[in-house]
Amino acid sequence: MSDTLLALLVTVPLVAAIFPLLVGLRVDDAGWPIAMAGSLAVVGLAGSLASTIYTAGPEGQRLIHELAGYPAPYGIELVGDGLSALIALLIGVVAVAVLVYDRSVDRPDAFYSGYLLLTGGLLGMTLTGDLFNLFVFLEIVGLVTYALVAAGDGGEAAYGALKYLFLGTVGASLYLIGVGYALVATGSLNMLDLQTRLAEVGYTDPLVQASFGFILVGFMLKIAVFPLHTWQPDAYTHAPDTVSAFISALVSTTAAYALIRIAFDVFTVDFFAANPLIADTVVLIASISIVVGSLLAATQTEVKRVFAYSSVAQFGMVVVAVGLNSRTALFGAVIHLIGHGLMKATLFMGAGTLSSAYGASTIADYAGLAKRAPYTGGAIAVTGLALVGIPPSIGLLGKWYIGLGAVESGTWSVAIVIFVSTLLSLSYVYQLIEALYFTPLEEPTGGESTADGAVDHATMADSAVADGGHAGRIAPERVAVVALLAVSTVVLFASVGLFDAMLDPVFGRFFQ
Amino acid sequence: MSDRDGSRPDERLDGRLDSDGVARQRPVYSESQVIMTTVKVVIPFVMTYGLFITFHGADTPGGGFQGGAIIASVFLMIAFAFGIESTREWLANSLVVGLGTVGVFIFGAIGFGPLLLGGNFLEYTRYEPLLGDLLGLKEYEFVKYGMEAVEILGIAFIVSGVLMGLFFALAAGYSPSTDSLAVTGDRRDGADTATMEDTDD
Repeated sequence: MSDTLLALLVTVPLVAAIFPLLVGLRVDDAGWPIAMAGSLAVVGLAGSLASTIYTAGPEGQRLIHELAGYPAPYGIELVGDGLSALIALLIGVVAVAVLVYDRSVDRPDAFYSGYLLLTGGLLGMTLTGDLFNLFVFLEIVGLVTYALVAAGDGGEAAYGALKYLFLGTVGASLYLIGVGYALVATGSLNMLDLQTRLAEVGYTDPLVQASFGFILVGFMLKIAVFPLHTWQPDAYTHAPDTVSAFISALVSTTAAYALIRIAFDVFTVDFFAANPLIADTVVLIASISIVVGSLLAATQTEVKRVFAYSSVAQFGMVVVAVGLNSRTALFGAVIHLIGHGLMKATLFMGAGTLSSAYGASTIADYAGLAKRAPYTGGAIAVTGLALVGIPPSIGLLGKWYIGLGAVESGTWSVAIVIFVSTLLSLSYVYQLIEALYFTPLEEPTGGESTADGAVDHATMADSAVADGGHAGRIAPERVAVVALLAVSTVVLFASVGLFDAMLDPVFGRFFQ
Repeated sequence: MSDRDGSRPDERLDGRLDSDGVARQRPVYSESQVIMTTVKVVIPFVMTYGLFITFHGADTPGGGFQGGAIIASVFLMIAFAFGIESTREWLANSLVVGLGTVGVFIFGAIGFGPLLLGGNFLEYTRYEPLLGDLLGLKEYEFVKYGMEAVEILGIAFIVSGVLMGLFFALAAGYSPSTDSLAVTGDRRDGADTATMEDTDD
């Protein structure tokens, strides 16, 4: 009964989320080991799900678990296929990696409860086969994310979380309205069932069009596509580094996955063929997001903000593939989703490592840090180059296939937009690398002309010490996990065949 | 309560009167015979009503969520009548946290059981071959009582625990200047469901 894996993947982290609180009543510092055990269990389950699907024959590549044994259109299904298995695996791997990074920080038990809840919510979004169930998990993810962002120090984190709460709730509500329209049009909430029923209603029916419009805008808010991205830089910048790494890698990624799932599995390519205006609008907005996100990233001075705006651009590329209606582009979008998740986790963890050890939070602060922290600096540089798309890296694979798909479908403008964005991302990554490697190290005791900067630097390092880090000392497991993820972004360049094997049956269904 | 008794008298009347923002929006407890007597009289009825709503959830309007909320309101009333701080000490954090977490655990356990018996998550009828003779229930009745069990032991526990936790966490307020034990949620601890605010006391 391999479909049991699906139920376990969702429920194990959710149930595990109570134990940090429960055990915390009696035992101190129990939160981290419990969260680690839960996350490792998720990796194990997701890994076996992926291998089950990978090794299964053409029929077995879609696992379905009917919750409570009620059959499909009435009950809620959990569905696992190649696409959702890849995302589930990404969630597990990033959850473990970020927890390893978090080892040296002392956090309350409730933080780890939230962490496991978020993991479970993300897996629920990934595996559910029901539109309303997806909304429930979207809300679980949203609420926990707001709380985790607010766990940062000071009022800015609370402000960022509040902004995220307002916009995130609006996004979820818009999605719910869209689902409501689909329910009115068809009387069903099950994704597979909706696929046939929407076709019966007709794709040009105003209800169906409005339904997709609301769902699209709701997810664009959650994914943070320009101009609906305004919550995202504040949330990513002011959240604790651990949370930044986790949510930047996974939360928008899972929302983008859900958009892809709904666009191609519920509304299908025929919907886009019947409504070229909607497809063109998606491409237009996403293209603007790519360019503006890259421009904004290139003008930032704070490192976490650079990465945050860069996400706006990268997710623009993923969303553009939804509108392009091209199999190649969608293949690239899924690779880019996974690659972006790994790269952003690495970059935010690298930035967090440097900021807790050296108090470096702006690009100027990074001057010469590669000498002090060669491995972390190197990992940031490698991952930054992967983000630009320098071969060999997973960043190139994603962009390449999206661009190729755009050219194949005759939308040259998108290919040009991606090229421009690559140049812009090169400019901000180059700034980082230049500061890391080619700018001389500022010595606080040097008494140079940059005395002010040195003082700032020293005080920030002090605050970092108070924050649980040690000035100038980096926990070895942090270096290890950042370096390992950085290597993975390069190694995965060779994984096209693997992605193709996982995604081919899914896309075969999408593009019949 | 000890930290509030030392505050200035005019703050005790209206939380908004303070100028320095120290004790704002902290309702200060004042003992009232009217409220205490009323609450004492009302509590048994509210509690009974809450339990009624909870236990009747499966076949009449109501359910664990609504019932749990009403049961939690009993403790909110006690807190208003007899002082929030003393109610919090009387209840103990382990109870509040325990209600929420054990509720999830029971829900999960009931759900996982059918998985072990080879069925789907929450497929209550799978319990029938195992427990049918013991409990004297037919297969369809397992669905009903399975749902009852989830509602009563799961959702009602969770809702009442979380509501109480939220109430006490909000009542504890946020005081950036003090590092008192009452507000463990001072810095990073703002995270997650409110029950945790009380965990480390």
